[in-house]
Amino acid sequence: MFALNFLLRRIVQGIVIIGLVTLLIFTLLRVVPGDPVRIMLGPMVAPSVMEQVATELGLRDPIPVQFGRYMLQVMKGDLGHSFIRNAQGGSTGGSRGGETFDLQNRAKVSELIANTIPYSILLAALAILFTVLISFPLGFVAGVYSGKWPDRLSLYVSSVLVSLPNVWLGIVLILLLSAWGGILPAIGYNGPSYAILPALVLAIELAPVMIRSIAVSVANSLQENYVSVGEVRGIKRRRMITHHVLRNASIPLLNLFGIQVIGMLLGSLFVVEYIFNYPGVGLLMINAVFQRDFPIIQAIAMLSSAVLVCVNILVDLAATNIDRRLQY
Amino acid sequence: MIEEIASGPAAIPAAKRGSSIGAQILALAWRAADFRIGLAVLAFLILASLLGPSVLGLSATKMDVANRFAPPIFLEGGTWKHILGTDQLGRDLLIRSLIGLRNALLIGTISTIGMFILGSTIGLVAGYFGKTVDLVLMRITDAQMAIPVIILAITILGVSRPNPVTIILVLVLAGWPAYARVVRSVTMSERRKEYVRASTILGASSIRVMLQQIAPNILPPVAFVALLDVARMMIFEAIFGFIGIGIQPPTPTFGTIIADGTKYLLNAWWITTIPGLLLALCLCSINLMGGALERARNTLLRGQ
Repeated sequence: MFALNFLLRRIVQGIVIIGLVTLLIFTLLRVVPGDPVRIMLGPMVAPSVMEQVATELGLRDPIPVQFGRYMLQVMKGDLGHSFIRNAQGGSTGGSRGGETFDLQNRAKVSELIANTIPYSILLAALAILFTVLISFPLGFVAGVYSGKWPDRLSLYVSSVLVSLPNVWLGIVLILLLSAWGGILPAIGYNGPSYAILPALVLAIELAPVMIRSIAVSVANSLQENYVSVGEVRGIKRRRMITHHVLRNASIPLLNLFGIQVIGMLLGSLFVVEYIFNYPGVGLLMINAVFQRDFPIIQAIAMLSSAVLVCVNILVDLAATNIDRRLQY
Repeated sequence: MIEEIASGPAAIPAAKRGSSIGAQILALAWRAADFRIGLAVLAFLILASLLGPSVLGLSATKMDVANRFAPPIFLEGGTWKHILGTDQLGRDLLIRSLIGLRNALLIGTISTIGMFILGSTIGLVAGYFGKTVDLVLMRITDAQMAIPVIILAITILGVSRPNPVTIILVLVLAGWPAYARVVRSVTMSERRKEYVRASTILGASSIRVMLQQIAPNILPPVAFVALLDVARMMIFEAIFGFIGIGIQPPTPTFGTIIADGTKYLLNAWWITTIPGLLLALCLCSINLMGGALERARNTLLRGQ
């Protein structure tokens, strides 16, 4: 009952937050200079035609009116149509004239996202797997040997890893492993192996945060009273760590993982997809930004904040499952 | 380093005990070798980025088509004239990297100071007054933290015309909530302390209490750790440049140098890799310092 109450409250809060984020992006897009109609119709079109199309798309209405209309549409499950891309997959606009611009034949945003999201999920899942594989052993050993050389080593490894800009690291890995080494494919997507290199870049970016937090959390748990009490009662240190310390250390970790790491992952996913020309949601978004394709930008911003909000709620639920003392 | 931290506040020289929290953190961090190494490397890089361009007497934007793709000095065919080689337009990469470094450091530092000031002010106000002010401000930070920095930045910079001012504004806009949250929570606990209550009873105004009593006690620990954010912001600057929404050419930035070099990766791999290495070196020096400061702060705060 409490859980249900808690869940309901959090979901309502979450919806408000997603609404605020969408409003922010929606307003920013319309306030900063850069008219999407100009890109849709090309530079040669007459101002009167431009105004006509803009009015048809509702872009000349006051922003609150536009936002209200958009939200009603979203609530009906309709994310709208792309400004630029047509349903056949190509882009209209640019050099084409106003006559060929077809308002009716534009791609549905929901379909564009549905087509790209599996790639992003594959990449994100692989990145999380790599992150865990890198950071868990390093962080755990550093935490158990807190203050000794493994701890120091993991500290320096994380300091170096966190200093590698992902745009540079991506290119260097392409050069080393793909161009020179020929071990892994790099650009675009032609099978799941194309996700390995970008996932590696993401993992190297995320690992330092995880390593340090695992180390701190394990080290702190080891200092708790119950550890020495357990030792007095004759529980082996090894068993103590695997059965008790890990469980207790996992709550702050889970929190961190949910909020910080997933947030970082979401942001970096966009950049890494762009570096590797990987056909996920991030690449769709960045291309949409360059084309001022408002409906796509809004939908993806809304989606990513929804993901973050959901992850936060799940993290809180999971934390209360691990430690019942935590309040709903 | 870590042994020193493990030994805790007792290891702090007695003479430092009376000094301000900021000075104590600095003194403790100074004892870590990685802090001193980071500081030395960073100081050298800052000096190089300030003086280098005029000492070398080369131009960052002058093209020299006859000398395109000149390799760096340590490869066959490299010359002292272009120590790090040249790019696809024959521009000297060392100069371009140094000026790129200067721009990155400037943007990183200014935006971090900006988000620190904005975030701390909002955090102080929310933590001090509580109630409705607090609620409204925290809901705003909630919303902002529910959207990754990159997405916010790409949206704003991508649809507008990016220049150094808008880049800094975007970074400040994206980064302040984290500071607001930290400062708010510390202010809330500080406000209940005796010395704050005493000043209030003695008739000090809210602003006076906030600025003269609370701020000097809680802000230095936050400020030192902000150094880590300078490195983060520099990475963002490089990302923006790479995507094409950073400082626009011909002004050199690491992002544009890296992106340009990508097209010639197989023939002239040094265009992308070596300037990026310089950036990574600078970031590493900042992170070493920031890490040492953070550990020093945690040690001191735990000791209190």
